[in-house]
Amino acid sequence: MSAFYEGLAEIFEVEATEITPQFDLIAHNWDSLAIVSTLALIDECFDKLVDGSVLAKCTTVADVERVVGMAAAA
Amino acid sequence: MRAATITAIKSFLPDAVLSNQALADLYPNWTADKILEKTGVRERRICAADQTAGDLAEAAAQRLFSTHAVAPDSIDFLMFCTQTPDYILPATACLLHARLGLRQDAGAMDYGLGCSGYVYGLALAKGLIESGQASRVLLLTCDTYSKLIHPLDKSVRTLFGDAATATLLEAQASDAPRIGPFVFGADGTGAKSLIVPAGGFRQPHTADTAREIADESGNIRTDDHLYMDGPSVLNFTLRQIPKAVEQLLALCQSPLDGFDAFIFHQANAFMLERLRRKLAIPEEKFVVHMADCGNTVSSTIPIALEPLMEAAKAQRIMLVGFGVGFSWAATSVTLH
Repeated sequence: MSAFYEGLAEIFEVEATEITPQFDLIAHNWDSLAIVSTLALIDECFDKLVDGSVLAKCTTVADVERVVGMAAAA
Repeated sequence: MRAATITAIKSFLPDAVLSNQALADLYPNWTADKILEKTGVRERRICAADQTAGDLAEAAAQRLFSTHAVAPDSIDFLMFCTQTPDYILPATACLLHARLGLRQDAGAMDYGLGCSGYVYGLALAKGLIESGQASRVLLLTCDTYSKLIHPLDKSVRTLFGDAATATLLEAQASDAPRIGPFVFGADGTGAKSLIVPAGGFRQPHTADTAREIADESGNIRTDDHLYMDGPSVLNFTLRQIPKAVEQLLALCQSPLDGFDAFIFHQANAFMLERLRRKLAIPEEKFVVHMADCGNTVSSTIPIALEPLMEAAKAQRIMLVGFGVGFSWAATSVTLH
């Protein structure tokens, strides 16, 4: 998960150590740009394409990880 | 063989500059540096209120004619790729035909594709030339998306710029094709991901379509304006474009390193970098040319191709257009 967490830290402009499953997306500007960036990061780290509208409903990193777990390979 | 060949390209950008600082002043929490970092665009050119796609395309064509000493009466066919025509009817190509002084027996037509339009235009021009129906084709592209964008919609205003290009294609004797093969594709289920919902005959302009709405990201637009579902467009691109590239390589019977350069539709720098890494294309062969003009829709590929054309060096280049529709096309071109 470390490359994924590092990528998320870059997207949210926080230290990598701040990214945990409980990390609050909504408090960190979870807008369309952040969603697009996360979608690309998931493709890069896991070779999976997830639906942007499903991603938009996530509120924590744990939610995003669940969406990744359910996604089919790209 | 009689091979359709690209012999000249010229672009034209309107004068007015829209800088990242001007945009950052409008959007809370955004800085000029952040816009550059996220989009790869430093500034865009915007046409004047009374300037149309036809005006910009005419300027690009005149620039090509004067630089390369092309006589207007030597053109057999004019094609104009635009989604922002001067009128609903007639076709802007007919007006351009007159303004450029083409022969009356030269054909003229518009076609309404966006980011994939240049590659489609090359395919049509090749068909006309290699079937003997035309010897010189003038392919023009121009979109003025600035006229479709709400000033407070940062999701699109940070990306798009206005521009026009003119490409001359001619019949030349050659041992091998200079353009092609082609891969084409369309997926209309993605139509709503990049759309101006109102203003056509499906949904005419009304007071209701002019009502402003704010989305979850704080962007403001109406149904009369351009709407882009960024995640959906990215998903389409990452799913479809690597496949199209693989299909083209198979048709060309060539590995990736058989190409000297790759010019993909310059959507935004972030998407381009993701595609480049996914396809393992070397950075030095992957052309990114959008910092000073933004995403110019149908004009991005010829704008990026123009400097390579002027380098006067034999090169095999892969061109890949993709976007609004959804629509995509890929081809191989040989310059010089």
